[in-house]
Amino acid sequence: MKSLKELQESFQRGILAGDDSILAEVNDSGKEERMVLFGVYRNAYVSRLAEILADDYQQLHSYLGDQAFAKLVKAYIDANPSDRRSARWFGRHLPDFVSESGNYAKHPEVAEIAALEKALADAFDGPDAAPLKIEALAALAPEAWPQLELQPHPTAIRLTFRTNAAEIWSALKDEAAPPKPLQMPEPQAIVVWRQDFMARFKPLTTEEAMMWDEAAKGVRFSVLCEMVATFAGEDEAELRAATYLKGWVDMGMLAGFQTR
Amino acid sequence: MTSNKPPYLGFGLGLRPQHYQEILEGAPAVDWFEIISENYMIEGGQPLHMLDQIRERYPVVMHGVSLSIASTAPLDLDYLGALKTLAERVNPKWISDHLCWTGVHGVNLHDLLPIPYTEEALTHVVDRVGQVQDFLGRRLTLENVSSYVTFGQSEMTEWEFVSEVARRADCWLLFDVNNVYVSAFNHDFSTDDFLHGVPRDRVVQFHVAGHSHEESHIIDTHDHPVCPEVWDFYREAVTHFGPVSTMIERDDNIPPLAELVDELNHARSIANEVSGGKRLEAAE
Repeated sequence: MKSLKELQESFQRGILAGDDSILAEVNDSGKEERMVLFGVYRNAYVSRLAEILADDYQQLHSYLGDQAFAKLVKAYIDANPSDRRSARWFGRHLPDFVSESGNYAKHPEVAEIAALEKALADAFDGPDAAPLKIEALAALAPEAWPQLELQPHPTAIRLTFRTNAAEIWSALKDEAAPPKPLQMPEPQAIVVWRQDFMARFKPLTTEEAMMWDEAAKGVRFSVLCEMVATFAGEDEAELRAATYLKGWVDMGMLAGFQTR
Repeated sequence: MTSNKPPYLGFGLGLRPQHYQEILEGAPAVDWFEIISENYMIEGGQPLHMLDQIRERYPVVMHGVSLSIASTAPLDLDYLGALKTLAERVNPKWISDHLCWTGVHGVNLHDLLPIPYTEEALTHVVDRVGQVQDFLGRRLTLENVSSYVTFGQSEMTEWEFVSEVARRADCWLLFDVNNVYVSAFNHDFSTDDFLHGVPRDRVVQFHVAGHSHEESHIIDTHDHPVCPEVWDFYREAVTHFGPVSTMIERDDNIPPLAELVDELNHARSIANEVSGGKRLEAAE
């Protein structure tokens, strides 16, 4: 008689690898053969995970269509047995899987749409933090400003896209016809974060992205202003930096600051 | 360890995100809510915020789907830690999961897989329930699952196995009315034998749900309204066990809240009829 451990290993191989040796351990019912009955578990495994991926990657599904999405999902499920207790995390490797699979080498927007959906999901249930309010900054003494160090909201995720994937995603989300996929002339910086329980994203200009990235590393505001000046001219550099900062505060992209 | 029997809560529903706003704005006629524990093992955001508000207004119980109590893989201490942390936040009336396993070798098959009803499996499960109860500092509530295969090596019936787990591990039982119905059909046993085969004093909760009939077998899909046969068996269960906290489970094709409240009211009316018109009052 197989031990419980051996039986469970065989059962799992039966589901994951289509190994039929488990059928020697289970019974026919009075109404059905064991192959069909065990098949309920085999089918449930694939269909449940496919449903999870369809839920997690709704716009990717719309973009690819049912057939191509089903093919992608099947390949992903075969290559990635779920290793987390919660199904919430099952699809987390899908963007990398698409990038690395080669099937979409000529369609880099596909992996980027997936990356955007994953980032939005991660921001949706990421850590809580009260957003930085403009009043807190307004109360800062003028001499404190140069030392100001900004803290991005803990849900903030920075992405860089080579394509117009963000525009495609937005059109699909609005149930509109997506624009044709395009290579962007320059890499497109995106920040994803959560505001008022909603996951959202914002494309950044190259200058704004540079300032965001440096701010996220803890670079002081005086240095950020110098960088902005170097990047696109000294003329009104501080005003541009302050405008970006106000935009981030208004959209809840920051959680706090420190001055030291 | 908390040893008091969980209170009778009345008639509850599974908490689903589609219904958050309606619950908070409409105060529906639901006595309590059951959450899927794993769905709230997250860092923050709307789900936890909604849960915090709902638990201020309703009793909440936690129902897990991946404890994998019968697995031969080691207990997942990270999972148990997250479960305990969530319980500290939610203060649930009880914590339940399924008498099943979900995977070995670090894999989660996201399914409630059947156990051979052997002395070996019984000893293994009882030992694990003890460890989990010690870790959580409270008794677990375990649910019988729907199954599609039986094992040649089984030495006892499912209800004998379930009962022995409850007695030896000193845990509570969640009697899933639909699962008994489904497994009885699939494996040709009598629902009455199961009903009369489990210790009455251990049963603290009922699940009632819909399923998919495939002619030669029934699949526990939770995507349909409860069928008349399961309502009949629910009536028998209430007659046999007396007032037990009852919950309608719907996990797919989730209808508007009002439809589920109607279904819940059907359960309420059956239970009231059984108790001779005496209205069953929840403990709180």
